[in-house]
Amino acid sequence: MSAAESFTRVRLIAGTTFLEAVRQKFFNSLLLISVALVASSTFFQQFDFGAGELKFITDFGFGALFFFGSILSITATAQLFFNEMENRTALTMLAKPVYKLEFLAGKFLGAHLLMLCFTLVITLVLSGILYWREAAIVAQLGAEALADGPLIRYGDVFLFGFLQWMKFGILAAITLFVASFSNTNLYTIVVSFFMLIICQLQYIARDAYSGMEAGWERFFVFGLGLIFPNFQLFNVGDQLVFDVEQVLPATVVLRMTAYGLIYTIAFILLAQLNFRRREI
Amino acid sequence: MKTPAIRISNLTKDFAVGIRGMKLRAVDALSLEVGDNEIFGLLGPNGSGKSTTIKIILGLLEPSTGSCEIYGEPSRRVSARRSVGFLPEAPYFYRYLSGRELVRYYARLCAVPRSEIDWAVDSVIDLVGMSEAAHRRVGTYSKGMLQRIGLAQALVHDPQLVILDEPTAGVDPLGSAAIADIVRELKRRGKTVLLSSHLLAQIEGLCDRVAILHRGQLVKEGRVDDLVEEKDAEALVVQGLTPEGRAAVEATIQAQGGHLARVEKPRLSLDAYFLKEVHEQESAYAAKNKAADESTDGKDGSA
Repeated sequence: MSAAESFTRVRLIAGTTFLEAVRQKFFNSLLLISVALVASSTFFQQFDFGAGELKFITDFGFGALFFFGSILSITATAQLFFNEMENRTALTMLAKPVYKLEFLAGKFLGAHLLMLCFTLVITLVLSGILYWREAAIVAQLGAEALADGPLIRYGDVFLFGFLQWMKFGILAAITLFVASFSNTNLYTIVVSFFMLIICQLQYIARDAYSGMEAGWERFFVFGLGLIFPNFQLFNVGDQLVFDVEQVLPATVVLRMTAYGLIYTIAFILLAQLNFRRREI
Repeated sequence: MKTPAIRISNLTKDFAVGIRGMKLRAVDALSLEVGDNEIFGLLGPNGSGKSTTIKIILGLLEPSTGSCEIYGEPSRRVSARRSVGFLPEAPYFYRYLSGRELVRYYARLCAVPRSEIDWAVDSVIDLVGMSEAAHRRVGTYSKGMLQRIGLAQALVHDPQLVILDEPTAGVDPLGSAAIADIVRELKRRGKTVLLSSHLLAQIEGLCDRVAILHRGQLVKEGRVDDLVEEKDAEALVVQGLTPEGRAAVEATIQAQGGHLARVEKPRLSLDAYFLKEVHEQESAYAAKNKAADESTDGKDGSA
C-alpha cells in the first residue's frame, strides 16, 4: 500500500475526528468560556493604566489559553478515542485495509486540528483586546508611549500560541498513549492530568539531577527527566511579547518545535504498541 | 485446487480475565474452510465464539495459537483485508453524514480510485435498495436501513469475501428478507459470504454450508440439507385424499415393507406466512392507489 494511500486514510480519519469534535457541546462551551474570560480580562485588573495593564491582559490570556487548552486537549482526545471504541465505528474502520497506526495518527491529527482552532480563536481575541487597549494607552499618553518601540509584538502573541499548540500536541499524544491501554474515559482523563502536572513540574527533577552525584539515583532522575517532557520550556510568554532587549532567537523556536514533535511522535508510537494488542 | 476463501487451522483464542489474568478460552482448536463463492453460516448461541472467530479472520485479534488465512494470505496482514467487506453486528456510523457520504467515506478509506468512486457508491447503494434514502442523514435511518447502508459500505470496494456478523439481528422480517435477497445476489455475482447468526430459521434457506459452534468448539459442519434431513425417511405431500384412499395408501406402504411413521399437515414457516401476507397487502394497496390515480387523471381529463 502506497504512502499516498496511507496519507489519504490518515487525512480522512482526521477529518471525521475533527468534525465529531467540533460538534461536541463540550468544545463549544469551553471555547465560549475561554473567549469570554480573555475578553473580560480588562475588567478584572485594577485601573493601573500603562504597560502594566497590557502585561496583565497578556498573562491572563496566556493563562486562559494554557488552562482551558490543557483541559480541552486531554478531554477531547480521550472522548474522541473512546467514542470510536464504544460506538464501534473503530471496528468498522479497522476491518478495512487501515493500519492501527493510521487510525491513531488520524485521531491525533483530528484532535490537534481542534486545538489549532481553539488556539487561533483565543490568540485572535487576545490580540484584538491588546490592540484595543494599546490604542487607548497611546491616545492617553501620546507618542512618548511608543518611544522605546511598540508596546506589544503581535507576531510574538501568535508565536506563543503556536508553541502552546505544540505543547497541546504532546498532551494529546500522551492522552492517546494512556487511552491505548486504558478501559475507561475517566481513567484516561485522570491519568493524563497527572501526566500534565508531572510535565509541568518536571524541571524540579532536572534541577535535582544537576545537583546529584553520579550513581543510580542520578541515572533514575535523568531517566524521569527524559521520559516526561518539560512543559516549562514552552512558557516563554514574557520574553516573547514584552522583552524588547532579548528577542527569542529563531533557532530556539525551531528547537522547541523539534522537541515537541519528537515527544509527540514518540508517544503516538508508544500508543501504537499498546493498541496493536488491544481487543476492538 | 482453488484456494479457499477462508482457511482456519487449529485456532485457539484465550483472553485474560480479571487482575489475576485467569484464562477464558473463547475459541478452542477450531479448524474449518470456507470455499470460494459459498454462503457459509457460522451458527451458535451467544458466547460460542462466533464474533471472536470473525475478529481473528479480520485480523483485529491475534490468535493464541493456530492460523487463519484469507485467500491464502495470513489474515493478520492489513493487505488481506483488501478482499474483505465486513458488516458488524448493530453497526453505528457517523450520524451527521448522509448515507451517500458515508459510503463514499469508506470507499475512499479502501482506496477505491477517484474515477470509479461515484459509480461504485451508486451501484452498491442501488444494490442494497437505499437509492431513495441515500441523501438523508444516517441519524434518521431505521435499524433495517442502517443494516442496509452498513452492507453498502462493506461492499463498496468490491470485496471477494463478505463477512456479516448477525446481519438480521433486530431487523423486522421484511428487512431480513431484503438482506437475504442481497446475500443471494452476492453469491450470484461470484462472492463468498460468511455470516454468523443465532436466528436459525433465517439461515436455513440461505446457507450452502454451516458450522455450529458451542463454547468455542466446532460441533458440526456440513451442507444444511445433509445436516437436517432424515436420511431414512421420505415425505409425500398429498391433496384431496379420502379416508378410504388414505387407508389404501397405508395398506400399500405396509405391503411394500414400509412403515407410516407420522402424518402431518404441511405448514409454512411463520416467516414465510408473514412475508406472503405483507406482500399481498402491499400489492392490494398499490393496486388501490393506482386505481385512485387513474380515476383522478380521468376526472382531470374530462374537466
